[in-house]
Order: sequence, then structure tokens, then C-alpha cells
Amino acid sequence: MKMPKTFPSVARIARHTFFDEMRQKSFIVMFAVCALCVFLVRGCYHGDYMVNGQHVDAGVIVRAVSKVTFHIIGAGVMVITALLSMRIFRRDRNDGTQSCVLSKPIARCQYVAGKIVGVWVVSLLFMFVLHGIVFLVTSLSLRDFMPEYLAASLLCSVNLLFVVVAVLLLSLLMPDIVAFLCVLGIGVVSFVADGISAVSHSQMAQAMMRQSGAAPHSDLTWWKAVYYVWPKLLGVQQSATSLLGSEPFQGFGSLYPFINVLLYCLVFGVALFRRFGKEDIG
Amino acid sequence: MIELNTVTKRYGSLTAVDTVSFTVTAGECFALLGPNGAGKTTIVKMLLDFTRPTAGSLSIRGIPTTDPACRASIGYLAENHRIPPSLSGWRYLLRCAELLDLSRSDAADQCGRIVELIGMQGREHAPAGTYSKGMIQRFGLGAALVGDPKLLILDEPTSGLDPIGIRETRLLLESLKEQGMTIFLNSHLLSEVEKLCDTAAIINRGALLVKDAISAIVRDGDTLEDVFVRLVKG
Repeated sequence: MKMPKTFPSVARIARHTFFDEMRQKSFIVMFAVCALCVFLVRGCYHGDYMVNGQHVDAGVIVRAVSKVTFHIIGAGVMVITALLSMRIFRRDRNDGTQSCVLSKPIARCQYVAGKIVGVWVVSLLFMFVLHGIVFLVTSLSLRDFMPEYLAASLLCSVNLLFVVVAVLLLSLLMPDIVAFLCVLGIGVVSFVADGISAVSHSQMAQAMMRQSGAAPHSDLTWWKAVYYVWPKLLGVQQSATSLLGSEPFQGFGSLYPFINVLLYCLVFGVALFRRFGKEDIG
Repeated sequence: MIELNTVTKRYGSLTAVDTVSFTVTAGECFALLGPNGAGKTTIVKMLLDFTRPTAGSLSIRGIPTTDPACRASIGYLAENHRIPPSLSGWRYLLRCAELLDLSRSDAADQCGRIVELIGMQGREHAPAGTYSKGMIQRFGLGAALVGDPKLLILDEPTSGLDPIGIRETRLLLESLKEQGMTIFLNSHLLSEVEKLCDTAAIINRGALLVKDAISAIVRDGDTLEDVFVRLVKG
């Protein structure tokens, strides 16, 4: 019997994981509910909006609503990805998949890589289809084509990779639900911190600070340092939506969230491979 | 074929396996015997690199068990074997074949033969959730045979089988043994072991008590069960 090659082994485990996830009833129900909710958003595009007694251009509404929907889908799929990832190792242990795979000439790192890729692809497709529904609704009903919307969706998959790797790692160290809550906490802190930062940098907040005579702090405090090194999950989404044209691309400022999240993926990924290498199987 | 060299496995203060050494030669049908908690499954897990020894080393065909390549010629049946309930027995066997890099046609041919061998024709396409424990065990044995392995490691292969199933499994293992396959058996059914195996090792509380040919362990007028009870009870 020959030794299976590394890449095909990872691809096969990823494919098995993908179809195992797709067969789960909970996954199908979650997907149907999410798709329905996103589809219902189409009503927002047909409203007759007025600001200061003037009709607002439909294109402006479409872009604004689409952007908000983009962020909601991105955040929602991250939560669903965490839910899918948290039970991967436990389910494989319980249904004998882990001992079946690892009794074959397959290295543990190949198994873990296959699991990461499998869940990541499922989540990526989940998000891409939901974003695709928004894209189709806007394209068909308003003739406003936004292909960059789908490109932005693919960019946001970096966040999903982070969630998969982080939850898989933490699920080896603590109960699954605690792992889920920890990653959810990381996401909430990231969104809240970036939200506060965005508000504090808004023109209105700057004007209020000038009026009150408070000078903006430019020195690096410890919480600022934490803010910059914290996983920039909302930052990735904001940078991705810069493709939609509402915000200008800010060079390194726009790239930094991707670098930040990818570095976390790398560090957590290395820790996951090392930790799983020490796990007792079966 | 298999070599254990002063292998020790500790879980905290508990010593599950205590400086055990033995070898199993190619073509041998070997039984690892011992009461519950003796360390049999721990040895099997170390052979498959599911857990690492605290001290000592294990190798299969001269390759350390830490190298996945050593599992290229192993078929393994776990104690209390399970199959993902959403898969059918057929899909499960195909999945095992895919993991061994078999082509689709080879995999389908081989799985068809195995389904006949384990006597599951007609039930192979039903979801595993509808299978009895005995049927799951048969598919588990089938999965171990995928890829024509040179070494079979079977942890309680007859667990959950009825007397007819136990007999059929023994006959199947006998035919595999005749084909020159090395069999490493972990079982409580001493009468079946006595009929099937050439050599046996008895361990208790992690320590190896005896390893010899069954004909040498079982003296005149005794059964393997008599020897086992005498050795284990001290």
C-alpha cells in the first residue's frame, strides 16, 4: 500500500468535512433562515425615503442598505462559523471519524489542515451565497450592479478563517461552549472598540472635542496598544467595504486589519497544530 | 513486524503500561490478553500513535510508530467501533478507501468484495444510524480490510456480535491468517483466541506476565482460561 500524498489527503479530509457539515440538519435550517432574512431585506430598497423634505436617490439608498447588510451578514456568519467549528473535534471523536482517519497513513497535521479548510470553505460559501442574494436583489430590481460586493465578501473570508482556527484551538483547551463564547467575546470587543474608534474619529466627535477644549491624546497608552494589536475583525470588514466606494482606500490603514487577522491565524494555527499533536486519540 | 521496546505509559500517577517489551513476527496471529484496565487498549493506541509512550519505543516493520508511513499497511478495528450515523456502510468503506489513495474503480471493486466478505450484502446502502452494534462491528472489520493491509490490529473484534457472528469472524480471520496476514488481536474471548492464535501475551496492571506460543502457555489438561485466571489472580 502506498503512502497518500499530502495535498490530496488534506483535500479529501476537507471534502469529507464539507459534506458532513452540509448534511447536518441544524446547518440546513440555519442557512434557510439566514437566506430568508437576507431576502426580506429587499423591501428596504423599494421604500420612498425623504430627508429634509427631499427624495433621496434610490442608488444612495441601495448602497447604504447594502453596506449595512454586508456588515450584518459578515458578523452573523462569523457567529455561525464559530458554532460549526466548536463541535468539529468532539463530533469526530464521538462518531469514530478521528480514529478511522488517523489509523490510516495520514499525519495529524494533515487531518487538522483538512478540518480547517473544510469548515472554512463551508462558512465562506455560506457568507458568499448570502452576500450573493443581496447582490442579485440589487442587480435585478434596481439595475445597480455591484460586482465589488462579491469581491468584498471574499476578502471578509479572512475573518472566517480566524474564527475557525481560534475556535478549533480553544475547543482543545476548554469545553466547546466556552471556546465559542471566548471567540464571540473577541469578536464583540473588536466590533465595539472599532465602533468607538470610528465614532471618536468622526467629524462630529472631533468638533465636540474642540468645543469642549479637550485636546486629542496622541501619546501611546496601554489601551491604545491593546486596541491596535487586538484582532481587527470589524477592521477587515470596513476595509473590504472600501471596495464598495463609500470610503476611500487608505493604503496601509486599510491593509493593516488583514495583516493583523492573518498574523493571528498564523499564530493560532501553529498553536492548534502543536496542541493537536499532543492529543490522545480515541 | 511489531516491536515494543521497554514501553511505559503513565497517566499522572497511574502506570497503564510498565516497561513492556515483545515482538510479533510477520504472518503471526498474536493475541494480547488481560483483564479490564490491564493496559491492552493503551498498547494498541501506542501502536497507532494515538497516544505517545512516556518511555520506550514502538515500531512496525522497522518504522517508528510516530511516522505515519508505518500505518500504510495497517488495518485497524477499534473497540466499540462507530460509524458516522449519516453515512451508509458503503459510503464509509469508500471513504476509508479514498483516504488510502485508491482510485474510484479500485475502491468500488474492493468495497464490493469486502461487503460480501463481511456478509452485509443488501444492507450496505442503509444509513449507519439504522445498524445494530453487530452490523457496525462488521463494517468496522470491513473498513480494516480496505487497502489489503499486511497487518490487522483488532481491538475486541467480536464485541457486540452474536454467536454466529463470532464464528463467522473467526473463520474470516482464519482465512486471512492463511493468506499470510499478521493479526494482532485484543480480546476477552479466550476460547476463540485459543482456536485462532499462534502466540499470546498476558498482561496485568500494565506489566507483561507471559509472552509465548499458545501451545507453550497452555499445558496438558489446562485451557487458556485456566492459565489466564491463574496468572492474573497470582
